Amino acid sequence: MIYIGAEVIVSPLGDNAEDNWQALSENRSGIALAPAVGFNNEDIYLSRIAGLNGPLRFQQLVIKALASLNERIDASILASDRTIVLISSTKGALDDNLHDQFSETCTAVMQQFGLAHLPMVISNACISGVLALNVAGNMVEAGQYEHVIVIGCDVASDFVLYGFQSLFAVSDKPCAPFDAARNGITLGEGCGAALVSATKSVFKNAPLQLLTGTSANDANHISGPSRTGEGLVRSVSRTMQKHGIGAEEIDFISAHGTGTVFNDEMEAIAFNRLSLAEKPLNSLKGYFGHTLGAAGVIETAVCMQMMRNGMLIKSIGYRDAGTSQPLNIILENKPEKLRTILKTASGFGGGNASLMIREL
Amino acid sequence: MKVITAYCNLRADECLVNGEVVARRDAGSEDSWFKQIYRQQELAYPKFYKMDVLSQAGYLASEFIKRANPGIFEGYADDEIALVFANASSSAETDRRFMQSYQTGGSPSPSLFVYTLPNIVLGEIAILNKWYGENMFAVLPKFTPGFYLDYSEILLASGSRALLGGWLEVTAGSTYVFLFLVEQRESGTEFNNENLLHLSQTGSVAAY
Repeated sequence: MIYIGAEVIVSPLGDNAEDNWQALSENRSGIALAPAVGFNNEDIYLSRIAGLNGPLRFQQLVIKALASLNERIDASILASDRTIVLISSTKGALDDNLHDQFSETCTAVMQQFGLAHLPMVISNACISGVLALNVAGNMVEAGQYEHVIVIGCDVASDFVLYGFQSLFAVSDKPCAPFDAARNGITLGEGCGAALVSATKSVFKNAPLQLLTGTSANDANHISGPSRTGEGLVRSVSRTMQKHGIGAEEIDFISAHGTGTVFNDEMEAIAFNRLSLAEKPLNSLKGYFGHTLGAAGVIETAVCMQMMRNGMLIKSIGYRDAGTSQPLNIILENKPEKLRTILKTASGFGGGNASLMIREL
Repeated sequence: MKVITAYCNLRADECLVNGEVVARRDAGSEDSWFKQIYRQQELAYPKFYKMDVLSQAGYLASEFIKRANPGIFEGYADDEIALVFANASSSAETDRRFMQSYQTGGSPSPSLFVYTLPNIVLGEIAILNKWYGENMFAVLPKFTPGFYLDYSEILLASGSRALLGGWLEVTAGSTYVFLFLVEQRESGTEFNNENLLHLSQTGSVAAY
């Protein structure tokens, strides 16, 4: 069995999973209007971490998350030769060093924590986090490592904000995933971390089970989602088949839900094709914004908190059905026993990835 | 056993397929090196001109592998070929150009922005070939055979039947591109540390 636990979330809503959970259970969002940050000095809604300033913001966040995770696991794990750290990120420390966006952080983390191996970076756009968790599960399952720590991290930058502005993909209000009036993303920053391990006893609090998933390209367009949801359908159906899990066993879906017209429509089509349309579903982008390479890890960590606390969390920003196919969007927080959950992600480059978490 | 059945090396001034030189750079040409190759080889995929250097490199090398080995991908279903690529500098060259577009060029360029992710080349190859398989892009300090060996073990045990691996380092100062196809065969150039390192560096395989 592959275990996952010791989840950490560093976001505008708090520095650990518990503080973030508290905020989510009160439906507080990290999104706020940032004055004059746009390319034309427009005010833009962003989800930024207060006090995260100056150089080395990416490195600061990664180190903070790993230090916090380290308190939740056996003290021998970090320095073990049987442990590797995976970092999922799109733009890393781009603001510090355009030409070498990751290696300084990897070296600093290795030295500071006395790691046996240099961290490995996975950079697959917005599916990076879910993909890295799957890579972690696969590495443990294959016996390549006994413990794999996954850290998903991205910081908000002019670079990425101006880019999404140039695509007319930035929402003029806090993003509203799956809502009829949605009109784009809200950019966020944050860091999520979790330990994936073959050994249950290394977690200080009880872990959950990771049902490692698969990825699939949708072979359609580098920056536009497939109209049929083919890649997402293939990824989710392969993930469920791999573990012999039928639709009836899925209790909740943590969707990607960026808040763009086309992404959310694609997901609605895919979940209908998968006969999962009736499952309670949310997007967490209304709380954290789109944290890109961190999103999959942060959102999986939230799923784990939802399972631990037995609570479905409202999809904020959603009011009126806004996709051609129906979905069961969570309108209010609701206590619910969650035994098996599905997490999905889709992104630029046509990537789609999925995984499941199951109660022990 | 797992064997390397085809490979392509793109260097600063020559392009080799399965160890044979197929194109040489014309230092006098005004075209970029990759455009020279595209024209010399009479490729016809106009989208090539919109791509950034990483995607151009991946497109050229994967097309040459197909061309030199007709039918090589035909025995596979559309989701059985996994793409596992890596490099050291992510999409830094395109990142720099996108940054220039808004710092000195007047406004951020959407056509550059969409290439400011290193995994876009995987999408381009998947789109062209209609492949729905596994994709991964890693950023590593240097070309490391063990990365591909380890991850192929995982993918080939879980649904993928072939793996197109790639190291794509294209910066202002250097071109180091190596694509290779790994398949299950009775015999051939074994997919191991030594052969990968050798093929990545020399472009020709040692005699067996």
